[in-house]
Order: sequence, then C-alpha cells, then structure tokens
Amino acid sequence: MALTYVSSKDLKARGRALEILRSKFGEIAKQILEGRTPIMVIKKRTLANTIFDREKGILRIGDESLRRSFLNAGEAKKFMQTVLMASIIYDTLVNNEYPTIRDLYYRGKHTIRYRKLPSKKVVEENTWDEQKESDSVIRDIEVFIDMLREELLILSKEKGKVVGNMRIRSGDDMIDLSKMGHGAYAIEPTPDFIEFVDIDAEYVLVIEKDAVFQQLHRAGFWKKYKVILVTSAGQPDRATRRFVRRLNEELGLPIYVLTDADPYGWYIYSVFKVGSITLSYESERLATPKSKFLGVSMVDIFGSKKLGKKPYLTEAERKNFIIKAKDKDIKRAKELMNYSWFRTKRWEHEIEIFLSKKAKLEIEALTSKGLRFLMDKYIPEKIETGDWID
Amino acid sequence: MTAAVTIEKFTSLTPSEFFYRNKEIAGFSNPSRALYQTVRELVENALDATDAHGILPVIKVSIKRDGGHEKDNIFSVTVEDNGIGIPPNHIPSAFGQLLYSSKYILRQTRGMFGLGAKMAVLYGQVTTGKPVEVISAPINSRKIYYFKLRIDIKNNKPIILEKAQYSKTNDWHGTIVKVYLEGDWSRSKSKIYEYLRRTAVIAPYAELVFSDPEGNIVYFERSTNKMPPPPREVKPHPYGVDLEMMKMMLQLTTAETLLDFLVKEFQCVGEITARKILAQAGLPTDANPHKLTMEDVEKLIRTIKKFKDIKPPRANHLSYLGEEIIETGLKAILRPEFVAAVTRKPSVYEGHAFIVEVGLAYGGGIKASDRPQLLRYANKIPLLYDEGSDVSFKIVNEEIDWNYYGISFPAPLVVLVHICSTKIPYKGVGKESIADVPEIEREIIAAIREVARKLKMYLSKKRKEMEEAEKAVTIAKYIPEVAQALAKIVDNVKPEDLESRLLALLNQKLKAFKIRSVDEVVVGIE
Repeated sequence: MALTYVSSKDLKARGRALEILRSKFGEIAKQILEGRTPIMVIKKRTLANTIFDREKGILRIGDESLRRSFLNAGEAKKFMQTVLMASIIYDTLVNNEYPTIRDLYYRGKHTIRYRKLPSKKVVEENTWDEQKESDSVIRDIEVFIDMLREELLILSKEKGKVVGNMRIRSGDDMIDLSKMGHGAYAIEPTPDFIEFVDIDAEYVLVIEKDAVFQQLHRAGFWKKYKVILVTSAGQPDRATRRFVRRLNEELGLPIYVLTDADPYGWYIYSVFKVGSITLSYESERLATPKSKFLGVSMVDIFGSKKLGKKPYLTEAERKNFIIKAKDKDIKRAKELMNYSWFRTKRWEHEIEIFLSKKAKLEIEALTSKGLRFLMDKYIPEKIETGDWID
Repeated sequence: MTAAVTIEKFTSLTPSEFFYRNKEIAGFSNPSRALYQTVRELVENALDATDAHGILPVIKVSIKRDGGHEKDNIFSVTVEDNGIGIPPNHIPSAFGQLLYSSKYILRQTRGMFGLGAKMAVLYGQVTTGKPVEVISAPINSRKIYYFKLRIDIKNNKPIILEKAQYSKTNDWHGTIVKVYLEGDWSRSKSKIYEYLRRTAVIAPYAELVFSDPEGNIVYFERSTNKMPPPPREVKPHPYGVDLEMMKMMLQLTTAETLLDFLVKEFQCVGEITARKILAQAGLPTDANPHKLTMEDVEKLIRTIKKFKDIKPPRANHLSYLGEEIIETGLKAILRPEFVAAVTRKPSVYEGHAFIVEVGLAYGGGIKASDRPQLLRYANKIPLLYDEGSDVSFKIVNEEIDWNYYGISFPAPLVVLVHICSTKIPYKGVGKESIADVPEIEREIIAAIREVARKLKMYLSKKRKEMEEAEKAVTIAKYIPEVAQALAKIVDNVKPEDLESRLLALLNQKLKAFKIRSVDEVVVGIE
C-alpha cells in the first residue's frame, strides 16, 4: 500500500509519531532489561474518571490511572495486545501506510499455540478475536502516548458530509464545496490536514440525520440562508467533530445542532459540544463548547408555560408524529440527568417534559409537516429569535 | 498356640488326622483355595528362611500342570529360596510331622500354627498320592541334601521314601520344595497374583520370580537392599498367657520351683514380682511346677490377670518393616505420585505387644476407585480374604473422613495397614481378618490420620502449584509476542534478551513452580 506520492505534512507527522512511540515503549523495554516489572501507566477511560471542565465547557480525562503490569495474570493479555498494536502502528508509520482500524485488527490477529501446564495439553488462543478488543487497545495507546490516531495516520470510515459556499484544499487538490452536485464532500479522516481557502457563510447547521441533510441540500437551503450544512449521519465520528470544531474556532462561525427529540439526539449534541466519555481525552481537540442545540426540543413540540412558549406542532400533528418513548429511552434520559453537563435549568426542563410526556420525535416529522416549514420557518425563526439551548 | 490348645481337646486324633479332617482351618478347603494356600505357605517359609536371617531373598515360584495324570487338575508347586537351608536331620520332621516346631517361645514369624508347608504336603499327598520333594543346602554346609517324603497320617510321622546327598560345587545355600496337589488354577489365578503383588509391596528387598501354568513369567525386581530388623525370640508376657498355654508351659519347663518357673519363663517378671504374685495366689514358692493341680493353675492365672504391677510387654522383638521399606515397596509396585508411611510406637493389648504401620499411596499409576483400596498385612503376610470384616476396612470406610484430607471419591488411593505382633487377634478360624480390638483400632486410626495429614499437605501444595502453573502460563504464553513487538519499536534491543529477561522476571514471582524455558509453554505463533 506504499504510495508513490507522500505528502510532506504526513511525513512530518509520521516522524514525530515514530519518535514518541520509540521513547514511550523504549521505557518499557528498559524496565524489562533492568529487571523491573514492565508496567504501563495509562489514564482510565471510565465515566468515573471523566471530568466536566465547566470553565472550558468540555469533558476531560481525569488523573486516575491504571497500572497495566505484564506480570499480573489478569492484565498480561491486555499488555501484550497493547504492545502488539503499537508495533503494528509503528510498522505502518515506517512504511508510509494509512491503515484503518479494521486493517490494524486483521494485521494483529494471529494464533498463539501454547501448552497448558502441568497437563501439557496444547491449546490455541488468538491475540484478539473481535475488533472491539483491538479498537480498545488503540484508544489505550492514544492515551498512553498522548497522541491521537489521526496523528498516527490511522484512518477511520468516513461518515460525515459537508456542503456550502466554501473552498478547501485537501492534499494537493482544491475542492469547492458549493459544487458537489447532489452529493456532498465526505469529511476526510484527517481533517487537520484540510486547509480552509475561502468561505461565505453565516453559520453552520449540523444535522444528525443524513436524510434531512439531503433534503435541505437539494432544496438549496444552504444557498438561500448562507449556511455550511454538515451531517454526522448518527453518532458523530472524530473527523466530523474536529471539522466542526475548526469551523467554529478558526472561522468564528456559530454552530447549531439539529437532532431527534430524544435522549440519543441530546447525547449526540453533547458529544459535539463537550466531548464523549469514551474519548474524553480528545475533547480538547474535538469538542466545540460553543455549539448550540437548535432543536428539536420538547418545548418545540409541547410548548412551555414556564417559558411562555407556544408549540410548533398542533394537537393533531402531535398525535400523528409523536412516538411513544421506550423503557430504554426513559433509562437513558435518567442517565443523562446524572451527567453534570446536562445539569442546567433548561436541560432539566427538557428532560422533565420528556419523562412526564414519555414521548419522542424524529426530525423527519418536521419535514412531514412540510420541508418549507422546516427550512423557511422553523430553522430561521429559531435562529433569529435565539430560541436554542446553550 | 491356639491350634496346640485345640488339639489337646481331641486326644484321640493325631495332629495330622485332625488337620486332615479340618482342612478349612488351615485354608485348604477346596482345590482353588488349596493351590493359593500352598503357594503362600511355601513363599512365607522361603521369606522366613531369608530375611529373618539377614539374607536378601531371591525366591522363585513355579506352578506347573502335571501331565501323565487322568485328572488334568494336578499341579506341581515349586518354591526355591536362597535361605539358610535346613539341617538334614530336621528335614523329615520339618515337612512330615505336624506341629513339629511348636514351642512356647514366641517369635513373630510369618508361618501360621507352626504348620508351614506341612499342611500343603499333607493335602498334596491325600489328593495326588505323590510325595513331597525337598532339596536343601544349609548355609556353611558342603553338602546338598535330597529327600522324598510322605506323612504317616495315623501316627503323625514322616516316612522317608528316598534320600541322597551331594557335594556342593558352588556356595549355593537354600531350599527347594516341590509339592504335587489337586488345584484349580483358573479360580485361584487372580488371588495368587494378588498375593505375590502384595508380597512384593511389603518385601521390596526381595527378588521374586513367578512362572505360572500358562507359561507367563512375572518378575518383581528388588528395589532396595534395606531389610527390616530380624525378629527375635521372646518369652511370653504373663498377661498374654491363657489357661491352656500355662498348663503347657508348666509341663515343659525345666524349672524346679514355681518361683523359678515364673522368673525364667516369663518376660517382665523378676523375683520380687514373682514372690508377690505367688503370695497373692496363696501358692508356695517352692511348689513343683510339673505337679500343680488344675485348681492351682486356675488360681495362678486369675491372680496374674488381676495383678497390676507387671511392666508392659517389651516390643523390641517385633519385626516391623519401617517407613522406608513401606514407601519403597508402594512406590515400586504401584508407581504412585505420592507415598507416605508411618510406623507407630509399640503398644499393648491383652498382654501382647503390637506395632501398627500404615502406608498411603496416591495417584500416579493407581486407578481411581469408589473407596480406598486396602492392602492388609499381619506379620508381613498379606491378608486377601474376608476384607469386609477386618477392623481396617471398617476404619478406612467409616472412621476416617477422607474429605477432610482433601480426597473425594472416586480417588486413586491405596491404604496399607500392617500389624505386627506375637499374637494377631484374628477373627474366626480362617485367619484372614483382624478383630476390632480397641487398642489396635486406636493405633490404626492414629496412624492413618498421621499419613493422611501428609497427603493433605501434599495435595494442597500440589493444588497451589497447579494454580500457580496456570497463572504462570497465562503470562508466559505472551512473552514471545511482547518481546518481538517491543524489539520492533525500540532500537538496539534483541527479542531474545527481552524474552529471557521477561521469563526471569516471571520466575522470580513464582514460588512453587518455575518455567524452564518459553518453549515449554509456547508451541508456535501463526
């Protein structure tokens, strides 16, 4: 997979990554050669060790560390997997490759044949069986060497898309995001290597649902309202989050997020805004604390006497569009209530309405009311009146 | 001694007539039992002729079908030993006269009743009409003697049919006895093999060769040169003498006064004790022992039984095997993974000294069974019959809580129980099982507990080792992978160095178990 052309930016990144890998794992080798127990100290990626930094408005990884010792029978396998994965990543860096996490999974998957003692029975074991094992080890390495996978030139599946009146340089090509036809530009896995050339937009609208993104795109919404339209197509991947963050941070564009009206939609918004629990170590780069939740809110559906707001949906529409919340939705909502970054008056109000009405709604319901309603009334009106949750 | 007493009651019969009519008492109840018993009697004589005299036994046993008979169930049993031999003038009586060697001096030997091979000769003679053949070369003699004998049953006397002597051309000594008898090989086969196997367990210092009628040859090799101390003769202890025995002793003594008799013929009786006993019994010290009335004898016995001031019997004449021999024998024959043995201190029941020895063997070549496999011995004789009524059977199956010692059945466990005493308390006439004498029972239980504790420790150590081995493998199996991966990332580091260092680190952590090399664990990486 060696490329004939190698970008100089990538080369520089590779050199840095190799150096850090050598130094971090050199310490482990040194421990061994000096007759000390090899131990990796890695920050814990658990909810308990996830801190909400109110000042910065992002999730950060806490200071609790786990000490992964090779000589501990319960940790030996993870230790082996971590070192094995590091050596595979090292290889791909040296060979100028761009592996996906799936590639790394296959490359490291092999069989160890060993004898059980004292029975001497020969048995087999795989270095790892499922990709989630190797994925977890990749995250450990990111935390252990304090580098992100993008910096290690590891690609992930592209999911996020963008259109708008904007030109960028990716690799050595200039791309005009306003000339993508009915398609859209797939946000590349290493968005840091994208160069913003010029832009004409007033804000960014991030939409959870790909289908709604396509409808707005075809209807010319972004042209009419000078919007950069982005979709995460579900849970946002790292590249989409980083891209959105750069739009906000470097270009000063306001970010509005539009999701389904349910706990999963709310969490997607919060991932954009403060970061995720499993990847809290990356929030510093990926989170966009200034993003705003545009909708669809419970208040939009039911109105609120407390806030003095009328609903966007009539009684009849509610009857047609609302979906009854399932037990797992209720459970998830209650979990969110415990997350400190959801403990604001406005969010508590949202969740309370949800728990009392036990109802959820998809964005598609608003397009059913009429695409025009969504693009010409709901979105512009809410932005104009500042009707969002921060 | 019991037998001698019994015989006196049947004065109209000679001992040979009596035994012929009561064959089952001596174990000759049927052709199958008779063949087994013949082998046993001859082998036990052979062992007594060797190990009791400090000679490492070499014993050859052969059973052949004797052709040229109308019946096809006639066998010859030949047993050869390298023992001290028998002086020629004793040979006719030793094989042709029952109760010939009976003495009231006690010595713990294997032979039952002092009958030894004579019952076999008698049985053979009656069932086949063939005489016994004996070849013997006494130690330090320059001759080899040959006798062909039969027993005059009516008069309990040997009849010499043939007799010869030859000059020795080498320094061989020992005895070869050949008996013909009606037997049943197919029925006794397994018992005979089991008997020899159990003999080999308890006499690992012996070399045993057996050739059976089917042409199979089994060889039990000697696995130690250490022998048990030879038994020594000892006088009876007053507590252990009953009325009939007392009468016999009084008759046979050379002492001229009763005081002399007590001092001379008993252990643990000095002049002071003897005077006290006689005073208490109201018997004159100068009475003639040969002329006591029945009433006086009973008075003497009663007094002795009540008399508390006699020291307990000495046990230094008892020939126990010792822990080392038991362990060696169990190891050699059963090939277990664990073995332990204990020889208890001498103890006393009813005036008889006894010693209990117990061996435990576990695992390895032993097959698992639903209950402990019991190997019983009395005075070095394997006991094969009547296991269920033996005191040891009751103990291992009911008294001992094996679970407490970490064993749950089915388990590969063998328990060896050896009781040595000048008088074994047999149950019934078959003399194949031992009675529940409380003192003996206590000793057996204590002995089993002592070795079982060792087994418990071994098992828990082994379990810990296994757990540790398991743990060690969960780490060791990843060593090559970790070493290769690290060597790839880090410059100037060889995977072999990392591998050996990691193994050393792992071994440092292990207590009971070490991994010699990574190859011991990792077979390959694919």
